[in-house]
Amino acid sequence: MQDTLATLISALLAAGLYATMSYGLALIYGVLKVINLANAGVLMLGAYVTWWMWDAFHVDPLLAPIVVLPLFFLFGIVLERVAVRRVIEQEPIVSLLLLFGVWLILQNIAYAIWTGDTRSIETPFIESTFKLGGIQLAWPRVYVFVAGALTLAVLQLFLTKTQFGRAIRAVSQDREAARLAGIDVERIYAVAFGIGIALSAFAGSLLSLLFPFGPDFGQALQLKSFCIVVLGGLDSFVGVAFGAILLSLAEAFGLRYMAASLQNLISFVLLVVVLIAFPKGIAGIIRSLRRV
Amino acid sequence: MYRLIALGVVVLGFLIFPIVAPHAEYELDVLFLMFLYGAMATSWNVLGGFTGQVSFGHAAFLGIGAYATALLAAAGWPLWATFPAGGLLAALYSLLIGPPAFRLRGPYFAIATIGIGEATRLIALNWSSLTGGASGVTLSAAPPVTVQYYVSLGICAATVGAAAWIKRSRFGYALAAVRSDPDAAETLGVNTTIAKTQALFISAFMLGVAGGAYAMHYLYVSPDSTFGFSTSISLVIMPIIGGIGTIFGPLLGAAIFTALREQLEANPFLAKYSLDLSVFGLLLCGIVLFEPRGLLGIFDRLIRRGASRTRKDSVRE
Repeated sequence: MQDTLATLISALLAAGLYATMSYGLALIYGVLKVINLANAGVLMLGAYVTWWMWDAFHVDPLLAPIVVLPLFFLFGIVLERVAVRRVIEQEPIVSLLLLFGVWLILQNIAYAIWTGDTRSIETPFIESTFKLGGIQLAWPRVYVFVAGALTLAVLQLFLTKTQFGRAIRAVSQDREAARLAGIDVERIYAVAFGIGIALSAFAGSLLSLLFPFGPDFGQALQLKSFCIVVLGGLDSFVGVAFGAILLSLAEAFGLRYMAASLQNLISFVLLVVVLIAFPKGIAGIIRSLRRV
Repeated sequence: MYRLIALGVVVLGFLIFPIVAPHAEYELDVLFLMFLYGAMATSWNVLGGFTGQVSFGHAAFLGIGAYATALLAAAGWPLWATFPAGGLLAALYSLLIGPPAFRLRGPYFAIATIGIGEATRLIALNWSSLTGGASGVTLSAAPPVTVQYYVSLGICAATVGAAAWIKRSRFGYALAAVRSDPDAAETLGVNTTIAKTQALFISAFMLGVAGGAYAMHYLYVSPDSTFGFSTSISLVIMPIIGGIGTIFGPLLGAAIFTALREQLEANPFLAKYSLDLSVFGLLLCGIVLFEPRGLLGIFDRLIRRGASRTRKDSVRE
C-alpha cells in the first residue's frame, strides 16, 4: 500500500514536468498546425541557459526563467518570421523537415558553446528532501510540479480571459473566419510560436533542476511530449495535462513489471498505439462516448 | 543518350579503380562508404521519395540487416549468404510494422516512425541473449579491402538499378500517385495501403542488405551504432539534400555526406564544434525553404540559366 502510494505520488509529480514540456508543442500545433520537431532542441537549450547562468554568474536556477522566458519568446518570434512562416501553408511534412533542420542546428549550438559533456546543477535546494507520511520526496520535484500546474492555470486564464488569448483560440479554430473577423492572423502566428518556444525553454529550465543533460538530451523527451499531446487530443491544455498524468502513471506502474532500461519503450508504444487506434486522443474518445 | 554514356564511363572508372590503384586504401575506404551510404539513401528514397512517406525510423532495417550478418556469420554461414538473409529479415519486420503505421498520414506517420525506430533500438538493447545487449556483436575477420569495395559497389549498383526500374514501372507510377494525392490514387484503383506496404518492403529489404555490408566493414555492430537515431537522421538527410524522389539525388547526397564526414575527422576545427550538424541542418532548412528538389534542383537551375545565357549570346551575335 505504502509502495503503491509512493509510486502514485512520484508519478503525479513527474506529470507536472511532462505537462510543461508539452504545452508549447500543443499551442504551436493548435494555432499554426505545425509540428514543432525542434521542441527537444529548445528544451535542451533552455536547460543549458539555466545551467550556464548558474555556473558562470551564480544565478539561482529558480530565477533563470526571468531570462529564459523572454529570451526564447524572442527567438521563437524571429524563427517564425524568418522561416516557419514560409511553410505554414505547405504540406505538413515540409514544416516538419524544416524544424528538424532547426533541431540539428540547435544541437550544434550546444555542442559548439558547451561541448558534449554532461552538465548538472547542484544547489542546496536541488538536493533537499522531506518526508511526508513515511515517503521521501525531493523538493525540486514538488517545485517543478507546482510550476507545471501554475503554467496551466496562467495559460487557461490567458486564453479565456484576455482579448489576445481569445484571438489565439479563434485562429486555432478557424484561421479564415478569424481573418474575416479582423484578427491579424500573421501576428497571432508569430506570438503563439514565440509563446510555444518560451514554454518549451521554460520546461527545459525546470528539467535542469532534476536531471543531468547534454546536447543530445531531449530526444526521448521529444517522443514523450508527442505521446502526451496525442493522448491529450492536440487541442486543449487541460487535455495535455491529463495526457501527462496518464503517461506518467503508465511509466511508473509499468516499471514495476519491466527493466528500468525499457522505461522509454512505454511512451513509444503508447504513442504508436494511440496514434493508430485513437487518432483524436483520449479527449476524442470521451467526446464520442458523450455523443452516444 | 549522352547521360547513359557518361554513366557507363563513371561505372567503368569505379570498376577498374582498384586494379589501377590497388594500394590506395584510404580512397578505397572512402569510396566504399560512399557506395554504402548511396545504397542506404536510395533505399530510404523508395519509401520517402517515390511514395512520399517520410520515415524517421529506417535505422531499424539497417540494424536488423547488420545484426543478421554478424550473428549468422558467427554461426558459420558464408558471408555472401548472410546479406540476402538480412534483407529478408528486415523486409519481414517491415510487414509487422507497415500495415498499422500506414493508417497514419504525413506528419503523423513520420512521428510514429520515430517511436518505431526507438522501440526497435530498445528491443535490440534489451534482448541480450540474442544481440549481446549494449556490448554488441563482434565479427571475426573482414574480407580484403578490394573485395569489400566491389561488394559495396555491387550493392549500390543493384539498389540504384532496382530503384530506377521501379520509378519507371507501373508500380512506380502508383507510388507517385500515392505521394501526390492518396485520395485520388485510391479513386483510380490504387490500393494505397498495399502500395505503401510494398514500397516499405522493398526499401527495408535493400537497407537490410546494406546493413550486411555495414557489419562486414566495421566488424562490430551495437544497438547505438546501427539502430541509433543518428543513423535514421542521416538516412533522411542524404536523399533530401541531394534531391528527394530522384535517382541520382540520394547518391549525390550520400557523396556529400561521406565527404563531409571525412572532412570532419581530418579537420580538428570542424570536429571540435561538431559543425557537421549545422551544415546538414542549414542545408536541410535551405532546401526545404528555397529548393525542394535539393542540390540536383539547384544544379538544374544553374545549367538552365547557363543554357539560356549562351542562347542569348548566340542571338546577339
